[in-house]
Amino acid sequence: MAEPRRFTLPDVGEGLTEAEIVTWHVKAGDTVAVNDLLVEVETAKSLVELPSPEAGVIARLHAAEGDTVPVGAVIVSFGSDTNDPDDDPDDPPAPPSPGVQAPEAPAVEEERQSVLVGYGPSRATVARRPRKPGAAAELPAEPVPAGGRPHATPPVRLRARELGVDLVTVRPTGAHGRITRGDVEAAARVAPGETTATTATTETRTAIKGVRKATAEAMVSSAFTAPHVTEWVTVDVTDSLALLDQLRAERGFAGVRLTPLLLVLRATLSALRAHPEMNAKWDAAAGEIVQYGDVNLGIAAATPRGLLVPNIKAAQRLSTRELADALGELVAEAREGKTPPARMAKGTFTITNIGVFGVDGGTPILNPGEAGILCVGRIVRRPWEHRGEIALRSVCTLSLSFDHRLVDGKLGSEVLAHIGRLLSQPSLALIG
Amino acid sequence: MTEATAAPVGVDAATPRRLLGTDGTLLPGAADVVGDPETVRGLYRDMVLARHFDQEAHHLQRQGELGLWLSCRGQEAAQVGSIRALRPDDHVFPSYREHAAALCRGISPSELLAQWRGTAHGGWNPDDHRMHICSLVLSTQLLHATGYALGVAADRRRDATVDEIVMCYFGDGAASQGDANEALNWSAVTGAPVLFFCQNNQWAISTPSVAQSRTPLHVRAEGFGLRSTVVDGNDVLAVHAATAAAAERIRRGGGPEFIEALTYRMAGHSTSDDPGRYRDSGEVDWWAERDPLTRVRRLLDVRGWAGEEFHAALDEEAMALAEGTRIACRALATPPLEDVFRATLVEETAALRAERERFTAWKESFA
Amino acid sequence: MSAASDVAAQTLTLGAALGAGLRQAMAADDSVVLLGEDIGALGGVFRVTDGLQAEFGADRVFDTPLAESGIVGTAIGLALRGYRPVCEIQFDGFIYPAFDQIVSQLAKLRARSGGRLSVPVTIRVPCGGGIGAVEHHSESNEAYFCHTAGLRVVACASPADAHWMIQQAISCDDPVIFYEPKRRYWEKAPVVTGPVPASAPGLDRARLARSGSDVTVIAYGPTVRVALDAATVAESENRSLEVIDLRSLSPLDVDAVTASVCKTGRAVVVHEAPTFAGLGAEIATEITERCFPVLEAPVQRVGGWNTPYPPARTEELYLPDLDRVLDAVDATYRY
Repeated sequence: MAEPRRFTLPDVGEGLTEAEIVTWHVKAGDTVAVNDLLVEVETAKSLVELPSPEAGVIARLHAAEGDTVPVGAVIVSFGSDTNDPDDDPDDPPAPPSPGVQAPEAPAVEEERQSVLVGYGPSRATVARRPRKPGAAAELPAEPVPAGGRPHATPPVRLRARELGVDLVTVRPTGAHGRITRGDVEAAARVAPGETTATTATTETRTAIKGVRKATAEAMVSSAFTAPHVTEWVTVDVTDSLALLDQLRAERGFAGVRLTPLLLVLRATLSALRAHPEMNAKWDAAAGEIVQYGDVNLGIAAATPRGLLVPNIKAAQRLSTRELADALGELVAEAREGKTPPARMAKGTFTITNIGVFGVDGGTPILNPGEAGILCVGRIVRRPWEHRGEIALRSVCTLSLSFDHRLVDGKLGSEVLAHIGRLLSQPSLALIG
Repeated sequence: MTEATAAPVGVDAATPRRLLGTDGTLLPGAADVVGDPETVRGLYRDMVLARHFDQEAHHLQRQGELGLWLSCRGQEAAQVGSIRALRPDDHVFPSYREHAAALCRGISPSELLAQWRGTAHGGWNPDDHRMHICSLVLSTQLLHATGYALGVAADRRRDATVDEIVMCYFGDGAASQGDANEALNWSAVTGAPVLFFCQNNQWAISTPSVAQSRTPLHVRAEGFGLRSTVVDGNDVLAVHAATAAAAERIRRGGGPEFIEALTYRMAGHSTSDDPGRYRDSGEVDWWAERDPLTRVRRLLDVRGWAGEEFHAALDEEAMALAEGTRIACRALATPPLEDVFRATLVEETAALRAERERFTAWKESFA
Repeated sequence: MSAASDVAAQTLTLGAALGAGLRQAMAADDSVVLLGEDIGALGGVFRVTDGLQAEFGADRVFDTPLAESGIVGTAIGLALRGYRPVCEIQFDGFIYPAFDQIVSQLAKLRARSGGRLSVPVTIRVPCGGGIGAVEHHSESNEAYFCHTAGLRVVACASPADAHWMIQQAISCDDPVIFYEPKRRYWEKAPVVTGPVPASAPGLDRARLARSGSDVTVIAYGPTVRVALDAATVAESENRSLEVIDLRSLSPLDVDAVTASVCKTGRAVVVHEAPTFAGLGAEIATEITERCFPVLEAPVQRVGGWNTPYPPARTEELYLPDLDRVLDAVDATYRY
């Protein structure tokens, strides 16, 4: 083993942390024998004489009489060592004696963290020891609940209870087959996953939550904030249906699903271009009427998750073909329950097709943040006045509800009439 | 030489049994019991080596090589004289200051220092040297010695050739502990073949022996039913003679005995102690004049029993022992902590093994 | 700090803060007496009672014969006579000869007498490792005494706290086992000396040593500092540890622990004593019972290995350190 060239202050009294240099008995240049007295130091317990650990020449004393030195600090060097121990990277300091405390950092107060009472730790001397790569401790093997019991941590179980989710019905996606918080919350959004409790009577109770809850809240907010006025018109749409037949033969519309709804969209966009004040909202909080730039045309859709209103962004820019594609995509998405949240945000005007249910009209409730909503009824064959005679024509009722705070009867009527006119005489679109 | 001061309080008023005066002369009647010159030289050598070893260990502690050292300086005669009067197969139970006795039993510096360096708890195998590991909880070893002696007695009942005895070292402070008094009573009432050797070194850390006991310890022991002797613990010849005589009596079935050796702890209790806080330097000086090595040296000189060559050779041997101690101490390697897991029970339990493996994995995870 | 005291804070070691607390208690109440080995002229092997015998006399601060059972047994007698004895057991490993007097007598006299007998004895015990000591000098034996009904068991961790806690322990009418972390005896901090203000936390209360939001680390005595150091490092790793200094081991301040763990959802207990059947097991169970629905991970225990305390040169591997505490913190995130 190598002889020490540097002598560090040992802990001479079971846990001492420092000592004061009282009297040096050697100086640099002196030759000493093993065990010759080097220095007397004063500890918290007593005055102690420190003998030399080796024979040799004293190179340098590293502390002066009166200095308080922490245990582990170099106090004497031997041989030709005149360097400051802190400057020499090749020569590590001698290991401290057993039980040595970390040296106290100087200028202590500002280095310490404030704690509620007493003395905080010193920043200077604490750090994790470097680890070998990949050294993270392994957890003990995870026990899997026996008997098919669901595998979930306590907070996840609590959440499941709060949401009324039966863990047995949840598909786990976590590590070790664990049900995660996300799994539980996803299960809560899916209608079939709803728990229903059947009581002894024939009554059935379903918890109000998720989409249904959100929709109801929006409706209440809209219905009891904006004064709704609804107007309707019944128009002869036979020529629109004929147009659709023509378009089906057009190569440019091959593969596109062409429905009367598409033409309703087209007619609505025309009406909103003519009457942009309908594409707006009453912002009570800001005290402003907001005129939208784009028409984000919402189409109400019944989905497995409930009624949603995805919208086609900036629909006014789309060609009919593009509009058809967008509508098709939107409907397909909705049917699969994959409508993303962004699709449903920032709508400016809504169209809702109740004709598919076999009814003619209604008093639709505005989507909050919009000024108008158009309800499209069924297309039925009816005896109608046509060229001065009674004929069976395809007719359809259009119902428009509007926010009477910013849409007066004139505007609302004009918008509705515009839509109806275009649908009964689609060739008018060529003119304007 | 003159007495520096009056005898310090605590030294038994009754004349301690002494064979060798502080001036090196044998007292009347001593010649009958003192051994030949070779024996005396041997005892002297043991004490000189012990002192050098003790001094070296003290220096090593001050150099950070040992965590703690409890010096036996001044007590060499009490230890050497007693242990050399036993047979090598007599089992010995020490406390923690019997370094001189341990060296006589052949325990190496390396083995002796391991526990003070912190690389082992018990540094040697008791069976190798017929000496138990150190007992740091005071007086506990008196009961162990008593029980061991009862085992010897049981063996002897089956085999009459078994005639070992047991010796137990302890101090004046330890005599106040419950275990010590239980052992004295127990050994007496059972007739256990044990010799209780008390080194009354006058101090238990800062508590003088007068504060430990109202009556001299050897008188107390008599009260329990043990045959008791008191000797000048700094007179190696008296100690040797008293121990030899007691051992012989016990070996012949005479029952347990008690020897109180009056001596002095020249240093502090340990390297953590500061004796200047509680005792007078005059007292230390008084005892220095009664140093055990000095008076034997004088005897050897006066009788011409040891010449220059002897002393020179002994000095060399002592220096070599000191040097060897330094080297041995620094060479003491820190054992792996895993050893403690394996040494806890005869067979490592599954839980201990799992924990040990976790520990090893954790230890080796560091760069 | 209470505004009632105009005394400026002095920087004191934990040992000196204890000594100052003893002085304060003795000055305030003549029935307080100190007894132990080497506590008089020497001032105690850790100098905690330094100067007290000179100040109050050998009738009130006295050295005893070397017998721990005797120290506690005679203290019981003194207490029955109306004194308030404060015993010093020199080192943790030497308390065992007194074990019977403590658990059979000290703990049970009140109950055995139907509440008539009061034994307001305080037993001061330097505890724990980390000073490179020889065997029997580095024990952590609090679990035995926590498991014994009729005793209060406390552990101080910092100088200011120690100064108040020792006074509170002495004035408490129940017997108190008062643990002092010997590896912290020489650590210094500002201490306002004087009587315990009314605003001071009770002896049975834990202390929030550091506020945090991610993981609760529960420690006492010598490991409080380890936990705080770990929290410093954790902060640089963007983890916020809340450190609770239990102070009172029996009774446990379960409300403080529960409040914290219900906030963080993760808990680590750190003590030097071996984990098997240690105090950490009791704390872990209390947390599990009270905070189960919000626990993100099982309560982690970091403690000594389940072997006898090892030789001094290996003790740094035995004692829970910063790395092991942070490993346990990390573990709570892997569930």
